[in-house]
Amino acid sequence: MTATTELTAAYVMRQPGSGAAAQAATAAPTAPVAGDSLRRSVVAFCCRECAYAAADASANARTPLPPTVRLVLVPCSGRVGPLHLLSALAEGADGVMVAGCLEGQCHYREGNFNAIDRVTFVQRLLASVGVEPQRVRMFTMSAGEPPRFVAAVREMDRTIGALPPLARGTTRTDLTVAPSSTAAATEGRP
Amino acid sequence: MPLTERGRAMIERLPEAAFPTAGTGGCLILRHEERCVGCGRCAAACPSGASSRGETFDPRQLFDAPADSRRGALGAALRAIAGHAPAGVIDVPARVTVFRTIVYDNRRCLGCGACVRACPAEAIEALAPEAAVPPAAGAAPAAVTDSTSGEAIP
Repeated sequence: MTATTELTAAYVMRQPGSGAAAQAATAAPTAPVAGDSLRRSVVAFCCRECAYAAADASANARTPLPPTVRLVLVPCSGRVGPLHLLSALAEGADGVMVAGCLEGQCHYREGNFNAIDRVTFVQRLLASVGVEPQRVRMFTMSAGEPPRFVAAVREMDRTIGALPPLARGTTRTDLTVAPSSTAAATEGRP
Repeated sequence: MPLTERGRAMIERLPEAAFPTAGTGGCLILRHEERCVGCGRCAAACPSGASSRGETFDPRQLFDAPADSRRGALGAALRAIAGHAPAGVIDVPARVTVFRTIVYDNRRCLGCGACVRACPAEAIEALAPEAAVPPAAGAAPAAVTDSTSGEAIP
């Protein structure tokens, strides 16, 4: 509850309509860290035409968002590529969501279909290296559905909160060690 | 010389025996998959349909890619969060075009080197025919007998 009031307070200090991104950015450091799941972070790539507008509307309605989420404005969800998703995960995010327009309602005709397939591709890529594929997810919504945006963010927050923190760096040495250990094995063979 | 869609469809229907020079006179084509950027220009330039874009992708290509390439950046990000080495090839959704492993069929390859000239990443190498004797020795007799038995196609 404290988190909620602080969220609203932080938002009220800004001008109305200044955007949901500002709300999330200012709210996150002040929010008290109650549980371990609150330290997780989710990056949300939001389409300017729909999801970001929905986020803006939900912020104007002062709907509290989970403090873990960071919004990134993209002109279309089709702009998001595998490198965006993977480098977000590699550089600190525990989960990444892409929020685009409803199927068939992309303002650039088929950007969201591209995004859906790219997210599926990254999910398979993650699964093949032993990372939970549900860390990356695609949501679709229209600009007039702020509750749907909030529900998507909360669902993503719940999913990521239930997962352990994404391990990075520590496993990297295992990977680089692996070839040399096989090389050592082949050296030892003759 | 790039093929039209119609020409490509016709070549897809031809039996392997329709490529009598495959594996005999041409260069040996050597692909370096770790340098491949997945552009598909080799597949577009191939006159016999030996190179084509596949339906799967091998994530190890990202790990082995040069560090200064786009695939290398992707591989570095994946390496940072990976739990283990890639388990195997993955199926690629229809709209993902770049991340596909090129399928190369050396039974159809004429050794013309069109793919080598088309490749922007220097990922394909053509070895001179005399250097290619060991691999061609096994393939050449089979291809020749096939072409002589199938007299219909010159």
